[in-house]
Amino acid sequence: MNGAVLRLENVDKFYGAVGHGVHAVRNVSMDVGKGDIIALLGSSGCGKTSTLRMIAGFEETSRGKIHLSGREVQTLPPVKRHVAMAFEGYSLYPTVNVRDNIAFALKAQRLPRSAVNAKVAEVAEMLEIGDILERMPNSLSGGQQQRASLARALIRDANLYLLDEPMGQLEPQLRTLLRGRLKHFIKERGMTAILVTHDQTEANALADRIAVMEDGVLQQFASPAELKERPANLFTGTFVGEPPMNVFPVSVASDDGRLVLRFDGGQSLAYPENAFAAEVRAALFARGQVVIGVRPYAVRRSGTGAPANVLTNQWLGDQSHVSASFAKGTIILVEHDRAHVAIGDRILIELSPADLHVFDPESGMAISHGRELA
Amino acid sequence: MSIQLSDVRKSFTNDLVLDGVSLDIPTGETLVLFGPSGAGKTVLLRLIAGVIDPDGGRIIVNGADMEGVVPEDRGIGMAFQNFALFPHMDAHANIASPLTARRETRSGIKARVKEVATLLKIDHVLAHRPMELSNGQKQRTALGRALAAEPSILLLDDPLRNVDAKLRFEMRLELPRLLKEQNATVIFVTQDYKEAMALGDRIAVMGDSGIVQIGTPEEIYLRPSSTRIARLFGDPTINLLDVVPEIGAHGPIIQLSGREIAISGSYAGAVGQACSLGIRPEAIHFVEPGAPGAFPVEIEAETPLNEKTVTLAATRNNREILVSRPSGAPGPDRGSAHVAFDMGNALLFDLATGARMIGTDAPANEMSK
Amino acid sequence: MDQTSTLEKVLRRVAISLVILFFMFPIFWIVLMSFQTNETILRVPPSIVFEPTLSNYVALITGRLETQAGTLEVNFMSNLWNSLFLSAGSVAVGLILGIPAAYAFGRIKFRGSEDIAFTLLSFRFAPPLLVLLPLTIYFQKIGLADTYFGLIWVYQLIVLPLILWIVRGYFEDIPADIEYAYRIAGHSWFSTFRKVALPLAMPGIAAAGLLAFIFAWNNFIFALVLASADKQPVTVGALAFVTASGIQYGQVAAGIVLSILPTLALALYAQRYLVEGLSLGAVKG
Repeated sequence: MNGAVLRLENVDKFYGAVGHGVHAVRNVSMDVGKGDIIALLGSSGCGKTSTLRMIAGFEETSRGKIHLSGREVQTLPPVKRHVAMAFEGYSLYPTVNVRDNIAFALKAQRLPRSAVNAKVAEVAEMLEIGDILERMPNSLSGGQQQRASLARALIRDANLYLLDEPMGQLEPQLRTLLRGRLKHFIKERGMTAILVTHDQTEANALADRIAVMEDGVLQQFASPAELKERPANLFTGTFVGEPPMNVFPVSVASDDGRLVLRFDGGQSLAYPENAFAAEVRAALFARGQVVIGVRPYAVRRSGTGAPANVLTNQWLGDQSHVSASFAKGTIILVEHDRAHVAIGDRILIELSPADLHVFDPESGMAISHGRELA
Repeated sequence: MSIQLSDVRKSFTNDLVLDGVSLDIPTGETLVLFGPSGAGKTVLLRLIAGVIDPDGGRIIVNGADMEGVVPEDRGIGMAFQNFALFPHMDAHANIASPLTARRETRSGIKARVKEVATLLKIDHVLAHRPMELSNGQKQRTALGRALAAEPSILLLDDPLRNVDAKLRFEMRLELPRLLKEQNATVIFVTQDYKEAMALGDRIAVMGDSGIVQIGTPEEIYLRPSSTRIARLFGDPTINLLDVVPEIGAHGPIIQLSGREIAISGSYAGAVGQACSLGIRPEAIHFVEPGAPGAFPVEIEAETPLNEKTVTLAATRNNREILVSRPSGAPGPDRGSAHVAFDMGNALLFDLATGARMIGTDAPANEMSK
Repeated sequence: MDQTSTLEKVLRRVAISLVILFFMFPIFWIVLMSFQTNETILRVPPSIVFEPTLSNYVALITGRLETQAGTLEVNFMSNLWNSLFLSAGSVAVGLILGIPAAYAFGRIKFRGSEDIAFTLLSFRFAPPLLVLLPLTIYFQKIGLADTYFGLIWVYQLIVLPLILWIVRGYFEDIPADIEYAYRIAGHSWFSTFRKVALPLAMPGIAAAGLLAFIFAWNNFIFALVLASADKQPVTVGALAFVTASGIQYGQVAAGIVLSILPTLALALYAQRYLVEGLSLGAVKG
């Protein structure tokens, strides 16, 4: 990609000897364009923070290349990479107040005081810390320290902004508010940013593209909508989405011109064969066994269909989350009207072919996605 | 009543945390304490557990006044936000700790630990020490420890806070069943409104130094007593629009985007007063231009959020409103559109104080499309 | 980067060797001296090549010191035993008194607790000589001078503040929630102290105990003034090697080697607990 601010080429990270130690990041390659906001999303220990720290230069790159604005930087120390980073663990300078912490990098640039103050005021207002600028770090709450630390990174002039769990310590209400503001702030200035987060709501709300990581492997690198509609494998399918995607192993059979999916518990769903595109149908029959995934909002209750028994029914104000025992497991339904079912009720479930994601049971790789089936 | 608090007060060096909290929790109820951090939720749990003492007021558990009763004699199970597992003991010993205190037989303890661990699906890691457990396993071990002695009172201090979203969701589904099987009276602390809605028989919303509203999830969500509480529940948050009700041809109305919109007759008393109209994003619908109550908006942005599509739209007076609809439901994603408010679900608050206007006869009907 | 050059590796090793040599040289030299006679030690120029002899050790262990001026009685072995007894006894008493006190200071915030804790620490500030004169007079009056009991008591001035302040820090680092959890599970505060707080503070206790032992072992001035020949530790006993006919360097060196051994053994033993404490790790969860 031309004009990529950041390019990772086959990057590996080993803790310990190369080839022998803990292989924390495995052969990760990605391009980040100017003005993009990228989220590295994954659970703890997935390699996302190691990747970020390699980009920043705080961790050695065990193998592979990192290009930043056209320069190869994997052997350069952090100060020469021209990146700004906000740390998860705040790391404010304890001996100076919040204002001086934030303005620290600007002081080195010898900007006039009025310009520094204006910049600090702007970013402080955005992050709702205008009222604590004169306070010392040790008198602040975790959330305040984190925002000060974020401000200190954002105020700098850098090619790339690295934000490690920038909102982890904040309260839910504030987090929701700041997400929108932060995105606006970054976009308005054409900044390029990579944030590490384990919170998919945050990733969805902030990022143009999300890099989903697990076991050190980049599982999928795509837009939030693409991740949702076309998960590359079972991992991203079940990791992204709240509540998570329902997955069930099924065996595929043909019965009197109908395509039948048989579940472990004995339930089955039958479809007209032409409900599936020819090549999908062929792939299904060729494998015989597949794993199907269906998003909770796409599970429908109906007069016909496969039976399930309601386990819980939780109303959240704007949607109901119903779980039911189904096919030796649990199926989750999201309904936007209040669901009037009680625990123990028998419901009948229908899954539309247009909503089915099909995965290979061995490799976990996606075979096809609902909308292209029909 | 299995837990009764009356006028419980607590402050820490000039910082008044609880200013006269009273609460009755009947046996078997799950009460959620909900509120921002610093509202005193954890302090309240600790007072009930007896690890800190109140400055005043009475705490009565199962009919007995707890004053002077040490924590080990209160018969309470508790799970902590940071798990607070004993790092030098394996999961088995952690879960067994309430049983060893009661000097049960070794085989009895073993059987009970096994039973609890199986219920929580951690029976395969009982020999592991906490540092060898994943976050989810730690959380389940902590829960197992709280449940092991089958206490009649369970205090759960935000036990799902430190586990990832997927596990949190799974536990949210699993917990009600688990708790019902225990037959215990539960106080559950959380900052997540979805957990509060899903788990609570009742929710007590805590604000500055006390409980600001207590009620069923329906009451809290549909009839919040102030804008502040209304904003705490719902994602995205409720739309609040400054309005001044007027007298229309057929009763009180408000002006929105140059259109007159009728409001419930019970709001007649609010005419001429500066108010805040609260309407949840899911109670606003995209409609055809001519539909009743329709008014024009410009669509600014659209984002997916938890099985919903959230649209940010601007009214003609440049007021921003959020509209949400189920994922996959059709709707405009750019340009001009018309929306209508479901006024049966609109709430009116006093602009100055934030308090909901006209106490009890406001809409009680459920959300409907 | 895995391509660390061979040169870099060699340089790194040389640097480490130099550092080790610098710190270990005195000890190495003393060990060498302990196997030499006074004549070879005082040879000019000094040489690393010599005929090793065990005579120094023999003299110490048998208690007979042969000098040009004749045979001298030294009770080095009983001094060593005194050191061991005094240090171990002081640390034991210090731990018994100090750990509960440290727990109290760390956990219970009572009026004046900081002041009391600081006062205890301030004992370490007072110059021992200033304390010694009145102390000697008192001890002689109440019959505690020249007794093990009296010495161990005085040694608490050294040992107790150390243990108290180190262990208190460790107790404070244990999250209160962990102890609350054990209490709520139905255990008394004492059982919580014993089964939770104590094991979790063990690395701190081991470190404090070790440090206190070393301080007690190295003490000179208290023992010099308050103990007579049969109660004195090696630090004071070593004075005997400064004889009328000169300083017996060989025996001094052998004495040092022997007196290092108990501390070394204890350090190696305590290391296990120190390391275990580290690997217990995230107590702070």
